[in-house]
Parts: sequence; C-alpha cells; structure tokens
Amino acid sequence: MKVATRDALARWLDSVMVQRSVIAPRRVEGELLYRPVRSSDDIVFDFERTALSPKTYLLPDTQVVLEVEKRDRAVTLIEPELGREQVIFGIRPCDARALRVLDALLLGRTPADAYYAERREATTLVGLACPQLWDDCFCSSLGSGPDDGSAVDLMICEAESGYLLSANTEKGKVLLEQLEAEETEQACPASETAGARVAVRPPEEWRAVFDDGYWLRLAERCLSCHACTYVCPTCRCFDVRDDTIASGPGLARFRRLRAWDSCMAPAYRRIAGGHNPRPDKAQRLRNRYYCKFCYSPLDFDVVACVGCGRCIAACPVGIDITEMLGEVAALAEERS
Amino acid sequence: MNHEIQDGIRIRARELLSLGEVGCVIGHERGPRGRVRPVFVHDAGDAGRLVWDQTCHHNLVVYLRDRAAPSRRGDAPLRAGIVARPCDVRALNVLIHEGQVARDQVFVIGVACPGMLAEEAEGAGGSLAEHCRRCKERVPLFYDALVGEPPPVDAVVDAWEDLAELEGSTPGERLAFWIREFDRCIRCYACRQACPGCYCFECLAEQVDPQWVSIAHRVPQKAFFHVMRAYHLAGRCAECHACDLACPMHIPLSLLNRKIAKEVKALFGYTAGADPTIPPPLATFRKDEELPL
Repeated sequence: MKVATRDALARWLDSVMVQRSVIAPRRVEGELLYRPVRSSDDIVFDFERTALSPKTYLLPDTQVVLEVEKRDRAVTLIEPELGREQVIFGIRPCDARALRVLDALLLGRTPADAYYAERREATTLVGLACPQLWDDCFCSSLGSGPDDGSAVDLMICEAESGYLLSANTEKGKVLLEQLEAEETEQACPASETAGARVAVRPPEEWRAVFDDGYWLRLAERCLSCHACTYVCPTCRCFDVRDDTIASGPGLARFRRLRAWDSCMAPAYRRIAGGHNPRPDKAQRLRNRYYCKFCYSPLDFDVVACVGCGRCIAACPVGIDITEMLGEVAALAEERS
Repeated sequence: MNHEIQDGIRIRARELLSLGEVGCVIGHERGPRGRVRPVFVHDAGDAGRLVWDQTCHHNLVVYLRDRAAPSRRGDAPLRAGIVARPCDVRALNVLIHEGQVARDQVFVIGVACPGMLAEEAEGAGGSLAEHCRRCKERVPLFYDALVGEPPPVDAVVDAWEDLAELEGSTPGERLAFWIREFDRCIRCYACRQACPGCYCFECLAEQVDPQWVSIAHRVPQKAFFHVMRAYHLAGRCAECHACDLACPMHIPLSLLNRKIAKEVKALFGYTAGADPTIPPPLATFRKDEELPL
C-alpha cells in the first residue's frame, strides 16, 4: 500500500497522460461524465455518481469497424487504427464490476468480441472507492460494496492521511511504480454500507413468474425510451449498419459502424417480414430484466446488474429496479 | 391548496371508477423513494394512491395515445380519466385536433394549477419553475371536472427573456452552444417519448428501412434529431417542458421549441392548443392565405 497526497496524485496522472489517454470524471456543461482529460486540473476527485459509466471507452457508443473504398472496379478494405493505451481513473467499484460482467458476456464464448477484447486489453482501471452508498445505489445487494476493489487494476481509497493506493494486477503495478509515494501499513477505512438491500432471486423463480400480470402493470408507466439501457453499465446491445461517405467522381466510400442499440425500442426485435416477437412495451421491459437476472445467470453464469442505481435516477417516470426485484421476490414467495 | 387538489382528484377518481365511467385514472403517486411518478389506477379502492403537489410535472397526456385512440382491432377503446394541468390540456387539445385522441374517450380532471416548483427548489418553500413563472393559465381550457381553487394570476410578462441570450448571439455562437449541449445527448429519446406531440409510429430518426439517419451517436445525428423534432412541433408544442424534465443529461431542449413557438406566435398569432376551435396553423391549409414572410 502506498500513501499519496492529492497533489502527488495529480502530478502522477499528468505524467501518465504523456504516454496514454487518461479518462476521468470531469464536469461537462454541469454534468459529471467520464471524459478524456489533458490535465489533472480537469479531474473531479470528489464526486458521487457520474451520469454515465465509462462503458463507452470499452464498448464505444459509436465505432467504425471497417471502411470500404471503391475506385472504379478496385475495392479496398480499410481497417481502423487501434486506439491508444488508456487509463480509466476514478472508476467506481460498480462500474468496474460491470466490466467483469461484459467480459463474461462478450469474451466468455467463442468467438469473443474482438473490438471489446482489444479495448479491454489496452485499458488499465484505477478504481476510487465510494465512502458510502449514494442515493439509489444498491451495490451491496449484489455481492459487492462501495469499497470493493476486486475488479480494478489499482485501487484507491481516501483516508485521513491522504489517498491509499494498492495494485491488484501487473498492469496496476506498472502504473503504481510511476507514483512517487511512501509505503504505508495503513489500511483503507471501511466504507459505509448502510443502504437499500434487495434480494435477487435465482433464475428458476424468475421463470415461474414470467406470465404474471405484474409485468403489464409495471410497464404501464414506461415511456419506452432508451434511457435505462444507455445509462446501464452492463447493457451491451449494438446495431451494425453501413453509412455512405461523401466522395468524389469515380470513388465510392462506405463506413461500417456499430453503435449502441436499445431493447426498449419497438424495432429492436423486429425481423425480416415485419414480425415482431416483442411488440408491447411490457414485453420489452420484462425482457430487459430477464436478460439481467434470468438469462445471463443461466447462459453466462453472471447476474448482469451491479446495483449502480443509474436506471433508477435516469428513468423519467420513476421505474425502480429495486422495487421490481422486491415484487419478483414477493411473487415467487406466493407461488412456492 | 395542494391538499385540496389531491383530495379532489381522489374523490373524483373513486367516483369515476366505482361508476365504471372510466377504465382507469391516470394520475400521480409517490414512488418508493418519495418521488412522484405517473400511476394508473384501475380500482376505486386504489384511489388513495393518487397524490398531487407542485412536483407532479409529468404531462400524462402522453399516455392517452395508447388508450383513448380508436383501437386497431376495432373494439371500443377504454375511456380513461386523466389528471391534467392547463398546459397538459393544451397538449391534449392538439392531439384531439389531429385525430389522435377522441375527446369523448377522456375524462379530464382539470387541476387549477399553482405552477410547478423548480427542480432544484423542490421541497418546502421552493420557487416556481421558470416556465411556470411566466404562465398565465390557472384553469385548463376545458375539463370535465375541476379540482382546486384557481390561484391568483401573478405571472411575469412573457417577454421571451429565456431566448434573449441565444437570439443576441451570432449564428456561430449559437451553433457552438448547441454542439456543446448535444454533445452529451445519449440518443435515448426520453424527450420524444415524454412528449405528447411526438406520436409517430416510427420516428424518422430511428427508421431503418429506409434509413435516413446514421445510427452513430455523434453530434450531427443528435443535432439532426433534435432540430427535426423541434420543427415537427412547430405550433404544436404546449410548452409543458416534459422534454427538459425527462432528459437524463439535462439538455435545455425546450429552448428550441420556445424559439419556434415565438415565431409561430408572431406569424399566426397562435399559441399551441390554446383554442378549442382553431386547429394548429401548420396542420391547416388556406388557399387565400398570405404570410408576412
């Protein structure tokens, strides 16, 4: 364990920026977001929850996967250049755990998602413990906690004497070696874990309540927007489409993009011929929860929710995932 | 005052549901975290869930497009009761003019509206939201029952002051402003989904066959969507600010709608949904019409 002052931490981050991109929480027009920073002056060290997780730096909201150039009859395929090595500074334990979930879902099967794998490999996670659970947070109900450093390369917590840093992985050690700081015997103060506790029921109980009228009632207020899926650190669905790029005579250019997509959109599940197996918003909302709590555990052995609480904060009509978990538990009790 | 409104809503909802006048009443309830949210009350016994205070900012008219429009299967739609403020009723009026909602399928529980509290000032003694401070309507244009006593009108004159800064800046500065704002848009479409006026079966911004807009989450696509939406709401936006309040990234979207509302007012002397007999100008064609363009 090393101990460092805020100034030492800032100097260290400034030196890291020379070699790699540093993504950190910063204020963008009043909103707290993970963004690339060019100076440690831009980094916000004391914060609650960011509006979005840093998911987009590993699974970009928009990614060019291929460019095609057609000059007369000659077709050239251009693969995009790989990005730089990056450090995500100040990632919260929940968001780091969400990347473990994405690992299971995107890398756990063959073929692995090559784009995600490349970014994941090029990324070092520097975690920052939350001193407590914030409004709407429930990470401690999902086998984690506000000071869980298990999913980061280097964990930082704030103690009275300064910031305490410990490396968990080789990547973390390499980064920590650049920091001029004293060794210490101190341990991180335990974070306050008081907060909402909810029970997540096993997949077989979810299956038993699939046809319950509760899902229709729950979805009545749903607006079918995409906010919950885009603020979610584990939602990972994307669409792939080709864009035409403006080009000169004799030259045609296309760009193949993949971009975030949302299962809340009516067209998400529509198939050739126009049939849609999930035409109603209640089916879509139910499916989102089943994906997280029933299908992912069954298929990938991982619950695809980390309790960050962002969907609760972002929902314009107050749909609350913890309330839903409580209802499912109650329904399952009734049936057993 | 708020308690009278709440009591009035509960009494009316209980009556409507127990008499079978409506299939459900759409109002507000308090969620598990103390925040208000829309609720659908189907049984008279649940009318006690309905609450009302000056944080009940959702425009519930948005839910009527599913409920009070003629059904595709041809069966009679369920009549719905709805709690509505003056701005909500103007949005409803637009939908009725456009044939989206049948007036006789809606029982309007009109609220004599004291205005909503500013988001940051929610709680005791908070100040009114900016858009409510300039609103002169205390009683909805039409209703089937009115709850609450109309509070006095002490609205500030609407001098379109909220637009002054943008109007006073150069086109380059305005563009820079909107690029900054749209940069953090996540294309979640909460603004569109919360808007009663946005009821296209499939939004042009999401259509894939043909695909008009790239799926990229980048500023050009976001700007295109927001500007298009603003134009599609020309003369139709009731200025309820549901879009602003739904945006998880707090983008001041209604500035776009306000600017266009100002233009429509200047050209047509029209305020969206303000008259039960006059249809929206951009949904009207008159051969002899000449505009001072």
